[in-house]
Amino acid sequence: MTAPLLQIADLRLAFDSWRGPVEVLHGIALNIRRGEKVALVGESGSGKSVTARIIAGLLQYQRGTRVSGHVAFDGKDLLGLSERAFRDLRGTAMSMVFQDPTSALNPVFTIADQFREVLGRAHKDISRAEARRRAAEALDHVLIHEPERVLASYPFQLSGGMNQRVLIAMALANQPALLLADEPGTALDVTVQDRTLHLMADLIEEVGSAVLFISHNLGVVREFADRVYVIYRGRIVEHAGTDALFHDPRHPYTRALLAAVPKISGEGLPDTLIETSDAFDAPAVIHDGCEEPPLPSGMAA
Amino acid sequence: MSGPILSFETVSKTFRVNGQDVHALADVDLSIEAGECHAIVGESGSGKTTLGNLALGIHAPSSGAIRFEGAMLPAKRPLALKRRIQLVQQNPLSSLNPKRRIGASLRLPLEVHGLVHGRAQRRERIAKLLVEVGLEPGHAERAPSSLSGGQRQRVAIARALACEPDLIVLDEPTSALDVLVQARVLRLLADLRQRRGLTYLFITHDLAVVRNLADRVSVFERGRLVESGRVAEIFANPQHAYTARLIASIPVVTDDEAAVRSAASERADTMENAA
Repeated sequence: MTAPLLQIADLRLAFDSWRGPVEVLHGIALNIRRGEKVALVGESGSGKSVTARIIAGLLQYQRGTRVSGHVAFDGKDLLGLSERAFRDLRGTAMSMVFQDPTSALNPVFTIADQFREVLGRAHKDISRAEARRRAAEALDHVLIHEPERVLASYPFQLSGGMNQRVLIAMALANQPALLLADEPGTALDVTVQDRTLHLMADLIEEVGSAVLFISHNLGVVREFADRVYVIYRGRIVEHAGTDALFHDPRHPYTRALLAAVPKISGEGLPDTLIETSDAFDAPAVIHDGCEEPPLPSGMAA
Repeated sequence: MSGPILSFETVSKTFRVNGQDVHALADVDLSIEAGECHAIVGESGSGKTTLGNLALGIHAPSSGAIRFEGAMLPAKRPLALKRRIQLVQQNPLSSLNPKRRIGASLRLPLEVHGLVHGRAQRRERIAKLLVEVGLEPGHAERAPSSLSGGQRQRVAIARALACEPDLIVLDEPTSALDVLVQARVLRLLADLRQRRGLTYLFITHDLAVVRNLADRVSVFERGRLVESGRVAEIFANPQHAYTARLIASIPVVTDDEAAVRSAASERADTMENAA
């Protein structure tokens, strides 16, 4: 078996506070193979977004953060990387889609300008005309039928769903090996979310990118991921193939989460429920075949 | 159930935005029965929040009439009427005064409506309200910032209950909460309704919550009521393509749910093709 595209081992994160460092990630292990769709699911404050931000190099250079462990991407040790080297990685080999499409786009530039910047990261001397042609093509992939009108627009002139599609097209325009998708579609209406996520899934399939899909929505995860990591209070508590996780959840926390989701088959509200419980601190459940592979040589602890 | 507590009769609401008329609600006919949980669903811009604001008297209808227990609601509502229709909003962090202790936030409605006399009675009532929503009397001394999202939403519910209302407008009451917390707040809302004989006008975009909490549902699309009926029937047999499409878009976690969803999806396709 070839080495995973992304491999995380014993990832720890602490924030400095006046009482000393407060650890929020307690040794995360996670891997993604090429072309695979992996979900990291948990509630607010579980540590799922900070994990993505570390992979993207958006957190560890801030003051007051302490990161340790291993993050290997395409054979490179990301935690040893300079901030500058990270900048070359982002937008080319690795890209991101965030929750709120309107704030992720720059309000004072047109979509065409922002697209050209993205394409310029992978193709240094791309011409204006060539950038526009490729941008129009990329928009066509996410079923934007009037690419010229959209390219000439500013983000505030487009709907949230349209902006989210533009971002997805941008994120995948340079055919990244890894896409980090942090709650994409959460801010959208349900029919728009459904359509947008399907478009994203189709485009990912076509480009062949691997995805780390971050979400609090178990239903969305069930539909789009091949494998799922469940994160609770900075620890992975269960790791399984998507089918196994939804048909045979084994960790008490995963079971509680699944029981708490209101069902459209109309089971009624669950009767007894716990928000937090000692049982949630039970050891992690790793399903068969989901063991973490050994770290690449030279990176072992 | 004993006749409508609130009814909308050909109600329209038009706002003037940048010199143009925006029809937030158009010709809505709708009755809310006493004691039911009536869900209002639709996507952003469907007019569901405007409907809630009309019920609360925040807006007056542009045309049509709204009746409460059969009597026309006046444009300027007397205090006694305001007391009977209360609101719980989506985000308790912005709906509670951050500088006030919880006790003070609960005290205000009690005093405005003259529901308590004297300090001892007031304190007792506040403690009782907190216990009723699953908090402790000691929470009265706390600031909103020291509570979790779920606890804050419980306080917002207690504040609505303080007025001893007949009808509560719930505007996305659990949308900002995590799923485990949401489940408990939903359970609380269901229990309170039964215990106090409340009527809910439950505004939400979340059809899965509607399926489990509401008796009837009205679906809105761009200011128009497209479909209204008993929840189980609408889910089993949506009459309108938009309703079917909404159901078919819900992310699901079990095989039973997936079956409901794909049936709705097929129905939506058929109806959209026929149209």
